[in-house]
Amino acid sequence: MREILSIHVGQCGNQIADRFWRLILKEHGLTESGAVADQAAIKNNTNQEVFFHKVREGKYVPRAVLVDLEPGVIARIEGGEMAELFDAGSIIRKLPGAANNWARGYNVEGERVIDQIMNTIDSAVEKTQALQGFLITHSIGGGSGSGLGSLIIERLRKAYPKKKIFTFSVCPSPLISDAAVEPYNAILTLQKIRENADCAVILDNQALFRIAKQRLQRTPTYMDLNHIVALIMSSITASLRFPGRLNTDLNEYVTNLVPFPGNHFLTASFAPMRSTHSESVVRTNFGDLARETFMEENFTAEIDWKSGVYLAACALFRGEVKAKEVDENMAAIRKILNFASYVPTGIKIGLAETAPEGFASAGLALVNHTGIAAVFERLLGQFDIMFDNHAYTHWYEGAGVSRAMMQSARETVGELAKSYREAG
Amino acid sequence: MNTEGAASTLEKQISSASRSVEDARRRAHLDPARLGDLVEQINVLAELRSQEGDFHKAESLYREALSRIQEVKMPDPELLVGVYSLLAYLYDRWSKLEEAAAYYKKALELGEKLGVHDSDKVATVKNNLAMIHKNMRDYDGAAKYYHEAADEFRHLHGENSSCVASVYNNLGVLHYQILEVDRALDMHIKAMRIRENLPPADREAGDLAQTYTNLGAVYKALGDFQKAQEYVEKARSESASVNHSGMPSRRRSAALLLDKTA
Repeated sequence: MREILSIHVGQCGNQIADRFWRLILKEHGLTESGAVADQAAIKNNTNQEVFFHKVREGKYVPRAVLVDLEPGVIARIEGGEMAELFDAGSIIRKLPGAANNWARGYNVEGERVIDQIMNTIDSAVEKTQALQGFLITHSIGGGSGSGLGSLIIERLRKAYPKKKIFTFSVCPSPLISDAAVEPYNAILTLQKIRENADCAVILDNQALFRIAKQRLQRTPTYMDLNHIVALIMSSITASLRFPGRLNTDLNEYVTNLVPFPGNHFLTASFAPMRSTHSESVVRTNFGDLARETFMEENFTAEIDWKSGVYLAACALFRGEVKAKEVDENMAAIRKILNFASYVPTGIKIGLAETAPEGFASAGLALVNHTGIAAVFERLLGQFDIMFDNHAYTHWYEGAGVSRAMMQSARETVGELAKSYREAG
Repeated sequence: MNTEGAASTLEKQISSASRSVEDARRRAHLDPARLGDLVEQINVLAELRSQEGDFHKAESLYREALSRIQEVKMPDPELLVGVYSLLAYLYDRWSKLEEAAAYYKKALELGEKLGVHDSDKVATVKNNLAMIHKNMRDYDGAAKYYHEAADEFRHLHGENSSCVASVYNNLGVLHYQILEVDRALDMHIKAMRIRENLPPADREAGDLAQTYTNLGAVYKALGDFQKAQEYVEKARSESASVNHSGMPSRRRSAALLLDKTA
């Protein structure tokens, strides 16, 4: 078995967990308590153990650790339909929150709970035979997901130097903003992700907001945005969980998608994007599906497509898809996409048999594009305005993060943006 | 048992201890009164992690225990002192002497403040703290803590108990090291008298042989080579009579360190 452990941190990370595990349960033929609902799905699916471990009563328990410094979201999960699903021993919730302050999540509150979190993660790892790595969902703008998330990533890297760490990192957007200090939290977290993770899928709230708005034709809620994130996460992991003709594991993703060390920031798209409420199964012909998968406005980060180039791309198609059609269409798409001149290879393709709930077939693109620099530059711009005016920095200094440390994080992310620009 | 077999046994023990910790976490979450069980299970797992050579995991487990106890409104003093001393003991074994001394002292301070008296834990902590002082070359500090430990053990278990003998042994080693050979002799003879007369259930394999060896060294230093030889012979025959079937010996009271450096 090549198991994966998911770690959900903070309010956003756990809201994503809520949507994500609902989808995963359906895909694996399990009820919301982890019992087997569809025997056939279990039989067809040999890779159940990747995301679940089976307990004595024939129930499946997610390989997941849920962490928050505020009890709210986790309490809703525990009190909701999935009340029986998660192992109570792998849920860690503590008061009194990180108050939107990275430094509190990383230093003050983090220091208090990190040992318990790492021990819980160790226990979960103990139940695996050959762990591939970790998936982490969090937002990088808040306090818990960003600060405590950074601390967890840092400690994971130390404790498991050879395992892959994949983050699903939600970036703040001025359109849906919770707090003025989000750019500080984001820059401090990006530094830690650059130093300690193997791959980060950047989920830019601004782009998610735009995608959801186009699709729903109303102002989207966080729930809508998280559903998109869940669809993307489910698809990225589909080929790890389901049999298929072209399988991909976390190592392969990293090898294919990271051409330079440190430039491991990806963006993703999911197709076909349709309203979540439609009852009928969505059917799309493959040509349309492939094109939609690579449509610029479908990607979940506000990429600068015009001045940037593709460094690497993976595509994963799920459900009723013919290999011949894939080859033909993808060759055509490869020609249209603007790849860096020194990257002559094609797009890595994966195929998995099971489509997400409600879809006959679906596509996912996971790409490393130099235009992601625009996301960092936007955050750096917001960071600089506040930082240069010494606004809010006293909250960070008070919790053990000096202006020099903030400056160093700013420089790391500045270099990251620059290295992406130069790679084009 | 070959090394591979031993490794996989340890792995099995770790995985089973890890499950027990998880169960205990769940129970403690539902009922804070079960915290003591959790700490006990954590201790077992941390001990195995330390045996496995993973200091960081062991440290992290004890620190979790500590923060869990401190979260409770009225922390159990015995438990708190116990975990401080276990953490100190871990540092001690991993040669992190300064941290070990700091945590042992913290355990003693808390014991004092929260009224944990007449306890094996406090006496054990004093014994171990003495050994750290010895290793840091503070011999007066070491002697002071050893004597306090001996007093407490004597008060709890009587003069003729194995733990009092252990502290005498440690004192003997200390005096020998600082060339106070007469006092070393006195301590080792006291230890020998107790150890020779212990009921079989209280005997720890190898302890008596160790005392004979130490006495041999002391007599040699005093120039009495005949007696030295006599004790070396005694040590040899005592060692031979000890069961070497590979069965692990009964576990000594959590962390009473024995000074075997002489």
